[in-house]
Amino acid sequence: MAALPRRIIKETQRLVSEPVPGIQAIPDDNNLRLFHVVIDGPKDSPFENGAFKLELFLPAEYPMAAPKVRFLTKIYHPNIDKLGRICLDILKDKWSPALQMRTVLLSIQALLSAPNPDDPLENEVAEKWKEAEAVAIKTAKEWTRKYAVPDCK
Amino acid sequence: MGNCYKKQKTSVRSIPDRRNPEDQDDMPYMLIMNNNTAASAAATANTSSQSTGWWRPVLRQRHSRNQTNDQPTWSFCKLTEDELDKHVLETLHILQSSAENDTTLILRMRMFRFWANGETGWNMVLSSLVRAIPLEDVLGPSAITLFIDHCPLPTKQAVLKFISNLQLSHSKAEEDIFQCKSQSKSARHRNICAVLGHLAESLAGPLSIAMLTDDALEYFIAGLDKTINNCQVPIVDILYSLISLEKFAQTGDNKTRIKQTKFVEKLMILENWRDSNDYKKRQVGFSAQWLLDNIFVVEGRKFTYEKVALDNINAMLNCNDVSEYLKISADGLEARSDAASFESVRCTFSVDSGVWYYEVTIITPGVMQIGWATKRSKFFNHDGYGIGDDEFSCAYDGCRQLYWYQAQSHRHRHPAWKEGDVLGLLLDVPNSEVIFYLNGDALPPERALFNCARSGFFAAASFMSHQQCVFNFGAEPFKFPPKNREFNSFNDHAQLTDEEKLVLPKHKKLQMIRQSSMKENSCDLCCDLEANIILQPCGHGGICHKCAEIIDSCPLCRSPIEERTVAEAEKS
Repeated sequence: MAALPRRIIKETQRLVSEPVPGIQAIPDDNNLRLFHVVIDGPKDSPFENGAFKLELFLPAEYPMAAPKVRFLTKIYHPNIDKLGRICLDILKDKWSPALQMRTVLLSIQALLSAPNPDDPLENEVAEKWKEAEAVAIKTAKEWTRKYAVPDCK
Repeated sequence: MGNCYKKQKTSVRSIPDRRNPEDQDDMPYMLIMNNNTAASAAATANTSSQSTGWWRPVLRQRHSRNQTNDQPTWSFCKLTEDELDKHVLETLHILQSSAENDTTLILRMRMFRFWANGETGWNMVLSSLVRAIPLEDVLGPSAITLFIDHCPLPTKQAVLKFISNLQLSHSKAEEDIFQCKSQSKSARHRNICAVLGHLAESLAGPLSIAMLTDDALEYFIAGLDKTINNCQVPIVDILYSLISLEKFAQTGDNKTRIKQTKFVEKLMILENWRDSNDYKKRQVGFSAQWLLDNIFVVEGRKFTYEKVALDNINAMLNCNDVSEYLKISADGLEARSDAASFESVRCTFSVDSGVWYYEVTIITPGVMQIGWATKRSKFFNHDGYGIGDDEFSCAYDGCRQLYWYQAQSHRHRHPAWKEGDVLGLLLDVPNSEVIFYLNGDALPPERALFNCARSGFFAAASFMSHQQCVFNFGAEPFKFPPKNREFNSFNDHAQLTDEEKLVLPKHKKLQMIRQSSMKENSCDLCCDLEANIILQPCGHGGICHKCAEIIDSCPLCRSPIEERTVAEAEKS
């Protein structure tokens, strides 16, 4: 395996030593470019009390190319599709090498607080969100309870 | 641990500087029961006449004339050398036998502080340490540092007088080491090395320079020659010569002087004892190698870390997770402390579930606390707290025969460990059990560790001064693998990069840190090269030339880049 770029080492160290509140990111034992992420559903959002698993991968071009991030936990959200892909500008054309894993994860956390149905990835969900927000939020809460709340063993 | 080893730096007063020649009477007194006064006086009368002669008749406190025999009264009596030696030995015994008996120990240490509170007294106490501490006592040298730490800080005169009284010289060294083969002679050399070494450490600076007279230097080096030639010198004498000179070398001028002698040359030979099966030789080899890597760097000699083979080692002692004075070998599997503090270290690999086992070979049979700890366990090395001294760690102490958890101990049934013994440590997470084995003999499982910790367990250990042991995390076959359950070894599951495997000498590490902080001006994007490019027209910087070539818009403001100019080097 090629040596890990200093930039990734630095970011990883900081993520581990000063974690972002509500976000856990742990590098994979075998692939130090792969991170197992858990984002806590933000308070006062339909995702509250949920723990959403994601995976974040740093491609070889990183930081010149954006990290690849996707949700592993099912979520009812206008900007996240069935496969967990995320519609977020900074992960696409608005990526800048000055951004970091930390800022990307914070943006995703913010996206959970403020869904943006005007720039949808999942049309059906976005429609619902626009037409009957209360119903959409209710569904989102149900999904959260069903898929994202850890079982109490 | 524990409390009894706590240094009492803050409360230690220094000896009042006595310049008045009239003021000779600072000899220590001891309180004795009056009925015994006569006996005590008689017993010591003959020793006093032949030795120092400072003993004077008993001073009686004023007390009633018509005393009855069964009513004990107290009086002061000048402290004698014999009494003092007896106290040293008794205290040593208490130190070793009971960790719970802290108050007795603290009271005894206070007595020494009281006695040493004057130039004469301080000299007497230190002379007594040199004279009385037996060679075979496993805690001897550790105890010497402890005793000295509890005495007041001496004045310069007191120290120099003490050294001149020792009459150090080359011939004295030969006399102490060879001419008399009795144990006490050898102990004298070792004790002098341990006492002076510790003084040199605690009084580093001008006083340490004043202490290292030519004669003293001769005294330390004398033994080395002969040993190497024909192995006639007790190895312990060589070991403590090395340790003592290490402590003197903490003061720069001394280091330069020591380097000018043949000492370094000898170290290069002694280094070959590094892997000896004789555990005493191994200690010398380890110390010599450490000195060559860390203190007395020889031009042309390859550092050990540059030549050590680490291919099959996947877990080691973590040189970034250790208290400041522990010495770790270049292969990351052997550790030794010669500091007065209680030094601790954790392994590089942690485990959350399953059953795990590792072994430790005991090189020195003194106080070490070896066991398991999570990241939350704290290393308070200067206060005497280490592994087994909080709720996040537990440890086995084979010297005092104790099991430690939360700084509380209870006795286990194993005999005291000796050099070459193999301690086995098993962690069974599913069953919440910790089992200790001495040469394969298992103790009943301990469970308390799991009260406060469920995951993130590291192998970990703490060392009292002059203690050493070797860890096996599975890179070598285990000597006493547990038979009744399946277990894993760290080495089979862990992974370390080449960089993580580097156990660098401290001076190399500092050099690296300095270099990397010189790179303060590194590129924000790759964190590697120097950021010397300014983007035009926006004027943003913080980027190196390589990254600047790859991007076509500014990473900060996204404005298109028209030109990349080299920043003017900051004139300093």
